Amino acid sequence: MAEEKTGNPEQYTSQGILKTVFSRLKRNENLYLAFTNPKVVFGISLFSAVLLFALLGPYFTEYGINEFAGIGSPASRAAPSGEHPFGLTMQGYDVFTRTVHGLRATILVGFVGGLIASFIGLIIGLIAGYRGGMVDEFLMGLTNVFLTFPQLPILIVVAAYLPYRGIIHMAVLVGLVIWPWTARAVRSQTMSLKNEEHVALSRISANSTPRILIEDIAANMFSYIFMVFILQYMGTIMATVGLEFLGLGPTRGVSLGLVMQHAVQSGALYLGYWWWGILPGLFLMLMIFSLYFLNTGMDEVFNPELREL
Amino acid sequence: MGKYFGKKLIIYIITFFIAVTINWLAPRFIPGDPVTSLLAQYQGPAAGRQMLETRLRTLFGLEGSLIQQYINFWANLLRGDLGRSILQFPREVSEIVKNNIIYDIAVLLPAISLSWIVGNKIGAMAGENEKIDRYIMPLFYGFVSSPYFWFAIIVVFVFAHSLGWFPTARAYGAGVRPAFTLNFIIVFLRHWFLPFFTMFLVGLGQWSIGMRNMVIYEIESNYANYLRSLGARQKLIRNYAFRNGVLPQVTGLAIQLGQIVSGAITVQVVFDYPGLGRLMYQAVQQQDFFVLQGAFLSLILMVLAANFLIDIIYMFIDPRIRLSYSEEE
Amino acid sequence: MKSHWKTWLIVMLAVVFTMTFAFTVRADRADTLVTTGAIWAPPSNWNPLYFAPEPGTVGLAYEPLFHYNAIEGEYIPWLAAEEGAWIEDDVFHVELRAEPEWHDGQTLTAQDVVFTFELAEEYNLEYTYLWNYLEEVTALNDREVEFHFDTPNYQEWKQVLYEIPIIPEHIFSEIPEEDLQTISDLSEFAGQEVVGSGPYTYDDATPDRMIWQRVDNWWGNEVHGEPAPRFIEILVTDANHIVLGMVLQEQIDLSNNFLPGTPSIAENPGYNITTYYDGPPYHVPDNTAMLFFNTQEKGLDDADFRRAVSFAINPEEIVERAYEHTVEKADPTGLFGGWLDYRSEDAVDEYGFEYDPDTAVTKLEEAGYTDTTGDGWRNHPDGDDLSYQIEVPAGWSDWEDSVRIIAEQLRDIGLNVEPNFVDFSIYEDNMLTANFDMLINNFTTGKSGTPYTYWDGVASDQIYDEQATQGNYGRYENEELFEYIDLFNRMPDGEAAAYRVAEDIQEILLQDMPSVPLWYNGAWAVMSEVYWTNWPTEHNPTGFPLSWGGDWQLGTVQMLLELEPIE
Repeated sequence: MAEEKTGNPEQYTSQGILKTVFSRLKRNENLYLAFTNPKVVFGISLFSAVLLFALLGPYFTEYGINEFAGIGSPASRAAPSGEHPFGLTMQGYDVFTRTVHGLRATILVGFVGGLIASFIGLIIGLIAGYRGGMVDEFLMGLTNVFLTFPQLPILIVVAAYLPYRGIIHMAVLVGLVIWPWTARAVRSQTMSLKNEEHVALSRISANSTPRILIEDIAANMFSYIFMVFILQYMGTIMATVGLEFLGLGPTRGVSLGLVMQHAVQSGALYLGYWWWGILPGLFLMLMIFSLYFLNTGMDEVFNPELREL
Repeated sequence: MGKYFGKKLIIYIITFFIAVTINWLAPRFIPGDPVTSLLAQYQGPAAGRQMLETRLRTLFGLEGSLIQQYINFWANLLRGDLGRSILQFPREVSEIVKNNIIYDIAVLLPAISLSWIVGNKIGAMAGENEKIDRYIMPLFYGFVSSPYFWFAIIVVFVFAHSLGWFPTARAYGAGVRPAFTLNFIIVFLRHWFLPFFTMFLVGLGQWSIGMRNMVIYEIESNYANYLRSLGARQKLIRNYAFRNGVLPQVTGLAIQLGQIVSGAITVQVVFDYPGLGRLMYQAVQQQDFFVLQGAFLSLILMVLAANFLIDIIYMFIDPRIRLSYSEEE
Repeated sequence: MKSHWKTWLIVMLAVVFTMTFAFTVRADRADTLVTTGAIWAPPSNWNPLYFAPEPGTVGLAYEPLFHYNAIEGEYIPWLAAEEGAWIEDDVFHVELRAEPEWHDGQTLTAQDVVFTFELAEEYNLEYTYLWNYLEEVTALNDREVEFHFDTPNYQEWKQVLYEIPIIPEHIFSEIPEEDLQTISDLSEFAGQEVVGSGPYTYDDATPDRMIWQRVDNWWGNEVHGEPAPRFIEILVTDANHIVLGMVLQEQIDLSNNFLPGTPSIAENPGYNITTYYDGPPYHVPDNTAMLFFNTQEKGLDDADFRRAVSFAINPEEIVERAYEHTVEKADPTGLFGGWLDYRSEDAVDEYGFEYDPDTAVTKLEEAGYTDTTGDGWRNHPDGDDLSYQIEVPAGWSDWEDSVRIIAEQLRDIGLNVEPNFVDFSIYEDNMLTANFDMLINNFTTGKSGTPYTYWDGVASDQIYDEQATQGNYGRYENEELFEYIDLFNRMPDGEAAAYRVAEDIQEILLQDMPSVPLWYNGAWAVMSEVYWTNWPTEHNPTGFPLSWGGDWQLGTVQMLLELEPIE
C-alpha cells in the first residue's frame, strides 16, 4: 500500500502505528476480525496480563519459593502488606513468590502437555480423516476407547507408579492421556476438507501424502488447530492441578496446583488466611477464564455465521 | 439400525477388554509387592511371617504364573468376583465397590442430569438473548475455569463454614446410623446437598456454554435465515434451533461423562464423601491393588453403560442415524 | 409436559431446603464420644492376634494384665490385682483380680493367661519371640500365674505386661492354626465379633467409622469405675484439613489428627477447645522424630561427619516454622517422659550437641571435608563430590517443611543436601532396605514403659536381613552398643548397674550419632467441650487423650472413666 512508502509523519504517533497495523491486518481478513472482536481482545489482554505477571513476577521478589520470609503463624498472621503483597503462609513463605513461580511452572506444563496432546491428536486425526476406510476405523476405534476412559483415574494410577515426578514428567503424562478428543475433532475437519478442490488438485499432482496433509489440509485448518491447542492447554492444566491436589503432583519443584494444595492441606481458609487460600487459585482461574473468552471470540471470527455484524 | 447397534457394541466390547487387561496389568507393574508391603507392619518372627505370607498370597490369588493369574482374573470377573481387599482384608472388593456406587448414583446422577437439562435451557436463552449472554455467561465461564476442588473448597467455606447451613464433610454425621427414619434422611440430605450442588454448578456452566454456542450457530444458519425470510415466527425458529443444538449436546454428554465422573474425585475428596472415584484414589494411596482394580473397572463399566444408554437415546432422537442405517439395511 | 420437570425440580429443592433448615438436627449423640485420627482406612479386623487390629481392639475390648499411664509413667494393675513381683530373679508372679469375666459370662482365669502365652509357643505369633527367654508359664490356681524365665529380659517384659491382651481360651482354642492371625473376628466361632473382657465391645463398623459399644455389666465397673460414653465412634478420616473443618463445626469430641492452626483454635474461646497444655507445646510428646543416616554410605559412615551435622541443625526453627510451637525440640539423648529417669547428665555434658554452625564448620574442617573443587560445596576428604538427599513421604507437609529447613541449614555450612519427597510406599521401601542417604522417621521411638524400646529402635541389631523392620534404618553396626542395649534389657529397674549401662549407651549414641534426635512429635489431641468435659489436661492429669491403635491401655481408658457429659 502506498501510504507505507510515503513518509507519513502520522505513522510515528501511536494512533498512526495502530492504523498501519490495522491496515496491514486488513489484508488478512480473519486476523483483522480477530483483533477487533471484543471477546478476543479481552481474552488476549487478560491472558497476556497473567502471562506477564508470571514472567516478570519473579523479578519483583527477593524471596525463594521455600524461603522463610517472615513469621506467619496464626498469632501474627501476616496479611497482604507492602512488603508481602500477597501475604505470608502459615509456615512463613511469601505467597506472591509462590504464586508467580507456580504460575510459571503451570503455564509451562500447559504448553508442553497441550503441544503433545495436540500433536498426537492432529496426526491421528489427519491420517484417520484423510485415509478413511480400515485405517480410519482402527484409529477412531482406538480413540473412542481412550475417550470413554475416565482420564483422572488413569492419571492417578500412572502417576502413583512413577517413582519420581518432575514438572515435565507431569506435562508429558497428561499430554499422552488427553489427546483423543483432538483426534476426533481434527478427523471431522479433515474429512470435510479432503474433498475440496485444492486438495484434489494436489493429489492429482502426485504430491506425497504427508505433504498434502501438511500443506493442503493442516495449513487450512490452522485457526482450528490453534483453538484445539488452547483447549488442550486448558485441559492439561486442569488435569495437572487436579492431580496435584490429590498429592500426586511433582515431587520436586513448585507449581500452582501444589501451592493451592498446600493451602488446602493447611486449612488456610478455615484459619483465616484468605490471601493464601484464594489468590493463587484466582490467578489460575483468570488464566483459564481469559482463554475461554479467546476461544469463544475466535469461534465467532472463524465461523462467519457467528459474526455479530 | 442393527448395523449401527452392532458396530457400537463391538467398540464397547473392545473397550471393556482393553480396560480389563490394563486393569489387571497395572498393579503388577508397580515396583514392590502388595503382600510384602502389607507385612512391613508385621513385627513377629520370620516363620510366622512366612506362614502369613503364604496364606495371604493364596487368598489374594497371587500365586501361579502370570498367564494363569490373568485367566483366573477373567474367570473370577465373569463370576462377579473381584477378589479381596488387602487393606480391609478379608472384605470382598465387590462389596466395597457396591457400598460406594450408591453414593455416586445419589450425587452424580441427579447432578449431571439436572445440570444438563437446566444448562441447556439457560444456554439456549443466552444464545438468543444478549442481556443474559452478557451477564450470566461470564459467571458460568468463571465456574468452568475453576478447578473442581478449588470450587468445592470455596463452596464449603462459604456455605458450610461461614454460613453454617450445611456440614463440611462426610455422608452422614457422627451419632447417626443409616436407617429409614426421618432423622437420618434429613441428616443424609444435609450432607448430600453441597457435593451435589458443586457438581451441579460446574456442570451447569459447562453445558450452558456449549448450548449457547450451538444455538448461535443454528440461529445464524442458512435454514434459520430461510425460515425467517419466509416469515416464520421467532418461536418456531427458536424451537428448531434448540432441537438441533441439543443433538451435539447429547453426544457431548457421552464424551464428557468419563471426565465428569473423574472430575468428581477431587470433589469427593474435598467433602470426604464416598464414591467410586474417591475409593480408587484411596486405594492408590493405601496400595490396595485389588480395590483399585475393582473400582477402576466399575468406574469404566459405569461410564460405558451410560454411554451405551446415550447411544440408544441418540439413535431415537437423531433422524439422520435412523435414516442412514435403515437405508443401508 | 414441558414445565413438568421444572415443577419437580422446584418441589425437590424446596423439600431439601425446608428439611435442612426447618429441623436443626442436633444428632442424637449425647452419649457418644466421637474421635478421629486413629483409623485411616475402612475398619476390618478385630482379632487381637492380627498384626494391625482396629484401634480399641486392645484396651477397649481385650485387656492386658496391666495398663500403663504414659504421662505419669506408672503401671496400673488391670486384670492383675496388684503390681506383679519378681519373686525370684527369674520368676515373675502375677495375681489376678477375682472379678474379671469374659463378655459371654465365663470367668477369666489364670488358665486363660497361660493359654495366651502358650499359644505363642505352639504357633508363630507376633509375640512368639518371648519364648526365646521364657521357659514356662504356670497357673498356680485360678488366680495366680507364674512366669519362669531362662534369662529374663526385665525391660522388655515391662512392655509385654501392657501390650499383650489376654484372650479367652474357650474360644481361641477352636480356631485352626492357619486362621489364627488372619481371621477378622470371632463370629464364626462365638456368634459375636468380639469376646473380650473389656469395657467395650464391637457394635458396628462401616467403611467410614468404627463403633464400640459399652458393656454395661463390665466386671470393672466396681473396681475401676464406669466409663461415661455409651458409644465410641471412631471416624475414618482422609485428611487433617477435613477434620479441622469438622472440629470447627463442633462435630468431633477428640481429634487425634495433626491439625494445622492448633494454637489459634485452642486459644480462641469461641471454639470450646481444650488441649493438654494451655500453651506451647499443647500436646504431650508421643515419640522422637529422628534423622537417620545411612551408615553404609560414603561420608555418612563417618561419625565425625554425622556429629558435625548434628551441630548444624537448628530444631528451634523447625519447631517454629513447621509446627507453630506444637512440638518441642528433642533432648540430645532423645529420651522423654518416664525414660528421663535414665538420662545421663554426664554423657550429655561431655558429648551432647546443640545448634552451633561454627562448631559444625570446625568439625567438618578438622575431619577434612573442605571445598577442594571451588564450586562452593564441600567435598569428601579424598576430593570426591559430596551430595545427599533427605527423604520424607510426599504430602506429609510438616515433615516436608522440616527437611526443607534442615537442607537449608546444611547448605549454609557448605553441604550439598537437598530434600527429596517420594510417595509413602517408596519411602517405606527405601527405608526398610537402607536405600537412602538421610531420612526422617519416628516409627520405632514411641513412648513406652522402658527406654530399652527407644534404644532398640534407634540401634536395633536386626539389620542383616533384606528388610530392617525393627528400626536402625541406617544399619548402624556397633557390636559393643548392641551388647550394652541387650545387657540393659536384662537388668531390672533400680539397679545401679542399669544406670551405668544406660550411660554407656547414651555416650556411644552421642559420640557416634547414628541418628539425630530432632523434636518430639506430639500425641496430637484437640478436645471439644461441647458434649464432654473433664478431659485430661495438665491441671487434671487423669489419663491420656489418645485414641490411636495400641494407646487405649496407655491412659485413654482412664480418660473414659473420668469423662463427664455436658447437659
